[in-house]
Amino acid sequence: MSARPAPAVVRPSLVSLVALVAIFLSAPWPPLQAVFHVALVLGLAPLETVPLLAGLWAVAAGWVMEGTLRMVPHPGGAAWADLTLALTVLFFNRFWPPDRRLIWWGRLAGFTLLHALLLHLAVALASGPHPWGRGWLWALLTSPLWAMLAWRLKPTTHPR
Amino acid sequence: MAPHAKWRSASWQAWILSLLWLGHGLWAMSGRWPGLGLVKALNYISGPMLKLSAKWEARREARSQQIYDLGTAEKEIAQLKARVGLFEMQEVREGPRRAEAEEAIRLLGLKQQMPLETKAARVIANTRSAPFGGLVIDQGTEAGLQPDQGVIAPAGVVGRIWNAGQRQASVLPLDAYNASTGVMLARSRATGVLQGTGPGKAEIRYISSQEGVQAGEAVYTSGLDRIFPRGLLVGYVSHVRPRDAELKVEVALSAPLDRLSVVLVLPSKPPIEVSPPAGSGKGQP
Repeated sequence: MSARPAPAVVRPSLVSLVALVAIFLSAPWPPLQAVFHVALVLGLAPLETVPLLAGLWAVAAGWVMEGTLRMVPHPGGAAWADLTLALTVLFFNRFWPPDRRLIWWGRLAGFTLLHALLLHLAVALASGPHPWGRGWLWALLTSPLWAMLAWRLKPTTHPR
Repeated sequence: MAPHAKWRSASWQAWILSLLWLGHGLWAMSGRWPGLGLVKALNYISGPMLKLSAKWEARREARSQQIYDLGTAEKEIAQLKARVGLFEMQEVREGPRRAEAEEAIRLLGLKQQMPLETKAARVIANTRSAPFGGLVIDQGTEAGLQPDQGVIAPAGVVGRIWNAGQRQASVLPLDAYNASTGVMLARSRATGVLQGTGPGKAEIRYISSQEGVQAGEAVYTSGLDRIFPRGLLVGYVSHVRPRDAELKVEVALSAPLDRLSVVLVLPSKPPIEVSPPAGSGKGQP
């Protein structure tokens, strides 16, 4: 168990809200938007102690991102992929909580790649062919930053 | 409570999340394969509500339109009422002038048809209800008027000038108690003297009881008094009954003495016989 004091329960929610607003505001810069998007879906939303909240944060992130893009004819695929990955990360955090930062970061980096694949697959299913871009690469490169932020916000009551 | 137990106890959250995930998945699939019919199914499910809301919106729109129409109609009615009130006020204001104008038109027609030099005059006062009252006209000696000139109207004989001032004259109407006029009956040709007996009424004196006089018979001037020429309409016999050696013949005067506004003044001592005009003021004895 970590010796540092447990963060406030509402702190992840507040940071998630900031990230959601950042997704909306960073729409003109897709790489930056991708970083905020992945950080919210994989890093911040699964920190919620209430699973429903985690799912809602992930769905909101997907809809806000696709809504700001205004490029897909049938939005909803990103929200579905986000919900799937956020619940998966939540499940892993609950039942196999990492006890070291390196494991935490490595797992999130892996989920980042998986998220990119699933996201583009879902968007392709929903809207058809679309440009991939390099947002996933920026999200992967910045994963140490947002992963560590999530580590610091992570509640300490999770079972090991 | 252990985290596992807490997770299991929140099964409702699991249900909601499952529905959320499943719904999003189906929604995403419907974008790729519209043939799944998800959109159709959603439309089918929401169809009744959409129809209901459409009806409700149509009803609200119709009701608002009705309210708007009602308000507009009320405004128009108020405007029309105001205009009708204005017209009624104008009618009341213009009524006497219009009646006077119509009477003047009839008088002008009579004047054109009369083969005599007549003068038109306006009635400026009517004192018939007073003892020894009469009519006052706005012409006098300046216009050449003098006493005992006949005064007629389109509807019949009015009376004679009793007194002439400089710019006005008083008229002794036929129904005055001291008024006497030579008249004759249209059918029997009997002549007599008409004397006033009251408002709008007079009686003929000196008709022999041998004469056959009937009610409704027209009474014309005889011309024997040298005030009126022969053949001007005076009135109609209203009642006949014998009295001693003569008949008492009551006459309803044809000229509306209480509603006169303009009259014609005949020249002094007109000829007995003149060619009869076609107007109502000149009858066919």
